[in-house]
Amino acid sequence: MLSFIVSEALVDLRRAGRVGMSAILLITLSLTALGGFWLLSLNLGRAVGQWRDRVRVVVFLREEPSTAALAEITRRVEALDGVQRVRYVGKAEALRSLRQSLGTQAGVVDHLPRNPLPASLEVTPAEGSTTPEATSALAGRLAAFPEAEEVQGGAEWVEGLARWQHLFQVVGLAVGAVLALAAILTVTTATTLVLHARRAETEIMRLVGASEAVIRLPQLLQGMVQGLLGAVVALGLLEAAFAVGAPRLEPLLQLTLGLARAVFLSLPQILFLIVGGALLGALGGLLARGRVTT
Amino acid sequence: MIRLHRVCKVFESGPMKLPALSDISFTVEKGEFVVLSGASGAGKTTLLRLLYADEQVSDGEIEVAGFDLTALRRGEVPLLRRSLGIVFQDAKLLSGRTVFENIAFVLRVLGTKRRDITPRAFQALKAVGLSSRVQAYPAQLSQGEAQRAALARAIVKSPALLLADEPTGNLDEAMAGEILDLIKDISSRGTTVLFATHQARLAAQLKRRTLRLEGGILVKDEG
Repeated sequence: MLSFIVSEALVDLRRAGRVGMSAILLITLSLTALGGFWLLSLNLGRAVGQWRDRVRVVVFLREEPSTAALAEITRRVEALDGVQRVRYVGKAEALRSLRQSLGTQAGVVDHLPRNPLPASLEVTPAEGSTTPEATSALAGRLAAFPEAEEVQGGAEWVEGLARWQHLFQVVGLAVGAVLALAAILTVTTATTLVLHARRAETEIMRLVGASEAVIRLPQLLQGMVQGLLGAVVALGLLEAAFAVGAPRLEPLLQLTLGLARAVFLSLPQILFLIVGGALLGALGGLLARGRVTT
Repeated sequence: MIRLHRVCKVFESGPMKLPALSDISFTVEKGEFVVLSGASGAGKTTLLRLLYADEQVSDGEIEVAGFDLTALRRGEVPLLRRSLGIVFQDAKLLSGRTVFENIAFVLRVLGTKRRDITPRAFQALKAVGLSSRVQAYPAQLSQGEAQRAALARAIVKSPALLLADEPTGNLDEAMAGEILDLIKDISSRGTTVLFATHQARLAAQLKRRTLRLEGGILVKDEG
């Protein structure tokens, strides 16, 4: 029985002809769009996660504290809500960092009459306190310290990145959904054409007592195969684009987002696309109506 | 095998009601060969369609091969039809398949074991005298041969009841005679047969119990 259903589904696939190919193409486009935006969103999400870990609030001190005063102020800062860690950066260390960042221009620093850089406290917010609101509140509390000259830092720009990531997700879903709907309708059309082409067989099947499942399963299977083919081609396209594009884009990603490398979709995500494609095709097949009365 | 009790069938088309069958009652026992005669439009085809549940009865009771058709659920219709063989005036062969494939198609659809399909198909074809035409396509068959193939397809699943709706309607006398002989042979092996024909001479020739329909009413049950 299974071999009969499969062989009839394959015959129907051939019968679907160009309309069937269009259905496969639309499923490919839909899943490629969805997968493409998913890739972008995935890598942006990694960048967001990384930068959230690096959010800092810097308190520039009016003057370089003594050892005892440093211990005191550090204790008071650590006691604040939402503070994970405090690191003191003295004037000398600040100057060394400046020399490093200036690179070949570091000699400029030697011409300075004195070290103009203030000592500072680098405050790392606790996990869950890296939102713009939380870091802003923390900055406000730190600014109230009498030792604080100025407070800088926050998470606004990270949240901006997170909003872009969310936007990509939404746009990807919307584009994917529109194309998926078109794909379902095309599979339905292809299957309806096939049902008309095989109405003689369907009539005989009903007359001799074939169950509705035996009559409908080939069309369901035909749709699923179209969906699977579309999904496989979509994944192939995504892999090829990634293989070609990722090495070229990685320097830019490193510079702008601090991402060492881009990653491709994970195995569960790949399986989701494949299963999604099969389901799109199956749904299109099921929706086709070409009932033959005997 | 068949029991009808005060069966009525009314076709509704908007506000119009067209009575096709009125107050039909009869019984056909297992193994009987019964002729259903009447002019075109008398209701023969409608009656047969009720028997294989292609139409639903408007009133009355029908029982076929142990199935109560008035209470039959949609999912049970295939079960009923597996115990029936049906032939029509038009042979309804699948044009893209050979004679053998047309017969085997029925067995494959019903889930017959692969190893049983070929011998059973050949057996059915032999019974109707088409063993030498197994590789022919329907377009290559004469009308008589096509109708034989349709008969083979109907009997390959060893039905308890054979419903024949004017199977000789398109055939000349000689071919019609051959088909009739085949159906008589099928009947002689125990299959119940209900044979519909508008040809009064043919009905008389058969010398079997005859149910005569006129205007949807059973006017005669004799033989």
